[in-house]
Amino acid sequence: MPLLEVRDLVKHFPVHGGFLNRAVGAVHAVNRVSFTVDRGEILGVVGESGCGKSTLGKCVIRLIEPTDGSITYDGEELIGLRHAELMPFRQRMQIIFQDPYSSLNPRLTVKALLKEVLKFHGMVEPSEMDDRIRELITKVGLRADSADKFPHEFSGGQRQRIGIARALALSPEFIVADEPVSALDVSIQAQVLNLMMDLKDDLGLTLLFISHDLKVIEHFCDRVLVMYLGFVVEELSCEDLHERAEHPYTKALLGANPINDPDERRELMVLQGDVPSPFDLPAGCPFAGRCPIVEDRCREERPPLEVKESGHRAACFLVE
Amino acid sequence: MSQDQPILSVEHLTTSFRTDRGIVTAVDDVSFELFRGETLGIVGESGCGKTVTSKSIMRLLPDHLTIYGPTSRIGFDGMNLATVPEPTMREVRGARIAMIFQEPMTSLNPVFRIGWQLDEALKYHTDLDRAQRRERSIEMLRLVEIPNAEKRIDEYPHQLSGGMRQRVMIAMALCCEPDILIADEPTTALDVTIQAQILHLMADLKNRLNTAIMLITHDLGVVAQVCDRLLVMYAGRVIEEGEIRDVFHHPRHPYTKALLDSIPKSGRRERGARLATIPGIVPSLFELPNGCRFEERCSLSEGRCADEEPNLELHGDRRVRCHFPIESGEPTAAKEAN
Amino acid sequence: MLGFLRSRGVRKFRRDRLAMVALTIIASYLTVAVLLLLGLVVDKDETFERVGPNSLVGFLEEPDIEKRLIYLEFYLDEVYSAADGRNPEAELAAIDLYGRVPVSSDPDELIDRIDPLWETYDELIELYEEDEHTEVADFEERLAQLEQEAEALYTEPDGLLGRLALSLGTDRQGRSIFLRALYSIKVAVKIGLVCALVAVILGSILGGAAAFFGGVVDNVIVWLYSTFSAIPSIVLLMVLAAMFLGSKYEGTLVPVYTALCLTYWIAPCRVIRGEVIKLRELEYVQAATAVGYGRGRILLRHILPNTAHLMFINFSLYFIGAIKSEVILSFLNLGVKNEPSWGVMIQQAKQEVISGFFWQIGAATAFMFVLVLAFNILTDALQDAFDPKHV
Repeated sequence: MPLLEVRDLVKHFPVHGGFLNRAVGAVHAVNRVSFTVDRGEILGVVGESGCGKSTLGKCVIRLIEPTDGSITYDGEELIGLRHAELMPFRQRMQIIFQDPYSSLNPRLTVKALLKEVLKFHGMVEPSEMDDRIRELITKVGLRADSADKFPHEFSGGQRQRIGIARALALSPEFIVADEPVSALDVSIQAQVLNLMMDLKDDLGLTLLFISHDLKVIEHFCDRVLVMYLGFVVEELSCEDLHERAEHPYTKALLGANPINDPDERRELMVLQGDVPSPFDLPAGCPFAGRCPIVEDRCREERPPLEVKESGHRAACFLVE
Repeated sequence: MSQDQPILSVEHLTTSFRTDRGIVTAVDDVSFELFRGETLGIVGESGCGKTVTSKSIMRLLPDHLTIYGPTSRIGFDGMNLATVPEPTMREVRGARIAMIFQEPMTSLNPVFRIGWQLDEALKYHTDLDRAQRRERSIEMLRLVEIPNAEKRIDEYPHQLSGGMRQRVMIAMALCCEPDILIADEPTTALDVTIQAQILHLMADLKNRLNTAIMLITHDLGVVAQVCDRLLVMYAGRVIEEGEIRDVFHHPRHPYTKALLDSIPKSGRRERGARLATIPGIVPSLFELPNGCRFEERCSLSEGRCADEEPNLELHGDRRVRCHFPIESGEPTAAKEAN
Repeated sequence: MLGFLRSRGVRKFRRDRLAMVALTIIASYLTVAVLLLLGLVVDKDETFERVGPNSLVGFLEEPDIEKRLIYLEFYLDEVYSAADGRNPEAELAAIDLYGRVPVSSDPDELIDRIDPLWETYDELIELYEEDEHTEVADFEERLAQLEQEAEALYTEPDGLLGRLALSLGTDRQGRSIFLRALYSIKVAVKIGLVCALVAVILGSILGGAAAFFGGVVDNVIVWLYSTFSAIPSIVLLMVLAAMFLGSKYEGTLVPVYTALCLTYWIAPCRVIRGEVIKLRELEYVQAATAVGYGRGRILLRHILPNTAHLMFINFSLYFIGAIKSEVILSFLNLGVKNEPSWGVMIQQAKQEVISGFFWQIGAATAFMFVLVLAFNILTDALQDAFDPKHV
C-alpha cells in the first residue's frame, strides 16, 4: 500500500472583483491530480511557475484546503478532518520551504523555535529538551552553539538547515520539500541536497520534492510528475526522463534546460508563446497553444492521463 | 578573440561602500576587457561583486555611499567613466551602454504604456520626431519578437507576461543601438522555457547588431550556452578568466572547478550519488582573510595560501588567481594538481 | 525582549546621536511627569495661586519703569493692606507668594517699615508721571533701592522651584507661568500616554484580527474605520468632546481621552492590518500551521510580535499627536478646564498677546515644542532603525 494516495485533487482559488466584491471566477490551480507516493520514495514534481506544483504540495498536507478530491495517508482520509483530528498527521507530515528568509520567525532563536515545536507536541521530556535540540542542530550540520542565535545571524544555506531542523523536530515520516534549494547559490545548493539525501537515508523519510529545476529533480528523485497549468501531463521514472519522455511539454522542458557544457551548445528548444491563464482554462489540452505537434483534436478535447505503451502515464493523444 | 581595440576596458576597478559597520570593499581591483561582438560572462555566487561591477560601470550606485578606488579606470570611447561628470554619464547611459535587470516585474513603470516608456528613451537620446519614434518603437518590439507589436505598444506592463516584459526591457535597452549591453541576471526570474526564448533572442540580436554583451549570472548552464569568454568572481576578486571552453573543460582555479562539480549533471544520473560540494560559506567582506580569499574552503590549500594572497597571473591566455593552479590537461585529477 | 535589544535596529538606533539627545529630553519630561504624578513637586492648587504681581515679565525681558513701579506697588501694598486691615495677624499669615511670606508677623513693625517706602514711592511716581524722571540724576538708583527694600519685606524664595517660579513671569492673575507650564507636562504626558497606548493597542488588535481572520470580521472593521476616517478628524474630535459638555466630566481629561482614543485607533489599525496581511502569507506562518498551532497562537506569538516596530512608531506618532490635539481642544474650550495645560495657557494668553505680553503663550509653546520636536526626531530615528527598507 502506498504511504500517500492522492485522487482527483482539485484546488480553485475564487477571484473576487467587481461590485461588492463578489466571486467572479476562479483560478484553477490544481486540476484533478492523482498520484501515489510509496514509503521511502522521493517523488519529484516539476513545472514552471504557476503550474500549481506548490499549491499541490501544500494541499497534500492541508496547509491549503483543497476544493475537492481525496488524500489518503497511511490508509486514512485526510480531507474533512478537523483541527484536533489532524494533529497526529501534523506530526507525521512536515514541510520545508523555499525562501530561507521568510520561512523563519525573525524574533525566535533557533532554540526557542525548536523548543516551541517540541513542547507543543509533547515529543520530549523537559529534562531531555536541550539534548534533543542539540541533536537536531548538529544533525543538520550546524554548530551546537548556534542554538542561541537569531535567524538574521545565519547565511541563506544555514537558515535552510534550520528550516530542515524544524521539519525534522517532530520525527516526521513524510516531508513536502517546496523548492528547498531554489533560493540558494550553486555551491550551497549542493550542500543542502547532500544533507537532505543523508537525512532521507538515515531516517527513512518519504519526500514530495517540488522544484522548477529539472537537473535537481533528476539528481534527487526516483519518480517525477510533470505539471502544466495545474494538470499532471506526464509521470515517469527519473531514470527514463531523458530517453523515454514522451509528452511534448516534458521534451520541451528537457530541451530548454541549458547544458553545462559549451561543446554541447545547441539550439535550445524554444517553445513559442506563454502559459495560458489558469483563470480560463482552454477547453482542450492545456498545452495545445504552445505544442509543436498539436492537432485539431487537441484543441477540442482534453487528453486523459493514461498509461501508454512505454509503461508510464502521459496525457497526450499523440503518444501511443 | 578579436585583436581590435576593446570597446570597454576596466582597470583596477575598486568599489567600496560606506556602511554602518565601516567601509566595505565589494569589488576589489577588478580588470577586464570587452570586445565588440563578444559575450562576456561574469559568474559567481551572491555577494561576489558581479552586480556591483556592472552597476559601477553604469555608475548606478548611490553616490554618497560609494567610493571608487583612486586607480579605478573604466575606459570607454576615450573616457574614464569612473570620473566623468554626471551629465556626460547620462549621455552614455541608455544610449551607448544599456542595461537590463533581473526583475522584469519591477523594471518597467506600471503606470505608463510600454510605448510611452520606449518613446521616452528615444526622445532623450535621439532627434527623431514623434511619428518616427513610434515607428522605431514598433520596429524594436518586432525585433524582440513580440507578436502584434502595433497593438502591444499601447498596453500597460501588467498586461504582459514575465517573458514579454523582459523582451520589452531588451527592446528598450537596444532602441538607441548601444555599443554595450549589460544583462544582469536577465533570465533568473523566468521559467526555463521562457529563459530559452530570451537567451535565443539575445544570441540572435548579438549576431545581428554586433553589440558587446556582458552577461552577469550565477547559472553556469546559461553561461555555457551563450558566452564566449568567462570571468569568475569570488568575494570581490576576479579569480579566473578565460575562453569559455577552456574554463569549463580545464578549470584552473580550485573554486571554478568546485563550482562546476557541484552542479547536478543532466542526463548522467547515478542513483544516490552525492554532489561534490564546497564546504563552508563565502567569507564576510568585513572580515576578509589575509591570504587567498578561498583558502578556508579550498581542498588544495597549503601553508602559503593562508598568509599571502595570490596575484591574478597570466597563464597562456588564461588569468588565474591561485598559488597552485590546477595544471591544464588534468581536469579531474585534482589531487596531484599542486 | 533580550532579542529585541540585540537586534540590528536597536544597535543602529543607539548609534544615532541626535536620537539619543531626543531620548534624553523625553526622559527628562517623563521624569518630571512622574514627579508631578506622585505629587512631589507642584500640586494643582499651587498653579492657581498668586506668586507675584500680575503680568510680570520673564527673565529675559528688562521691565520698563512703569512696570517696575506697578510691581513695586504690588509688593508694598500686599503687605501694607494686610497689616493695616481689620484682622492684621490673620491677613498677614495668609500672604504666601509660593513660599515667600512677610518677614515679620508684627503689623505695627511692618507698617513702620513700609510708611517711608510709600513716601519714596509717591515721589518717584510723581516724577515719572510728570515725565521728569529722566532729569533727576539718582532716579534709577532710588528706584533700585526701593525695589530692594520692598523685596526685603518678604522672606527668601523657597528652594529651586521657588526661585524659578517667577522666572517666566506671571499671568494676568499673578499665577506663575513657569509652574503652570511645568505642571502641564503631567497633563500632556497623561493624555499622550493614555491616548497613544489605547489607540495603538486597540488599532493593533482590530487590525490584526481583521487581517488574520478575514471575511466578516475584516469587512466590519474596515467598514468601521472607513466610516470614521471619512469624517474630518477635527470635527470628530470636537463632536466627541462636545458630547461631554454639561456632564460631570466637563473640563476633566475624560472628554479629551475619549475623543482622541476614538479618532486615533484608525491609522494604526490600517497599518497593522496591512502588515499582518503581508506576514500572514509568509512561510514561517505556514510552517507554524504545518506544526499544528491554533490560529490564536499563531496570531499572538508569530505574527503580532513582528509588527512591534510599527506599533512603536505609531505610538510615538500619536503620543505627540494627542498632545497637539489637546492644545487645540483646550483652545476651543472643549478640553481641560480644571487644571492648567498648554492648551489652556495658550487659550488664556489670547488677550495678553494683543497687549504685547508673550510670556504665557511663549512658555506653553516652548515646553510643547521641545517635547514634540524630540518625539519627532525619535520617531524618525525609530523608522530609520527598524524599517527594513532603510538599510
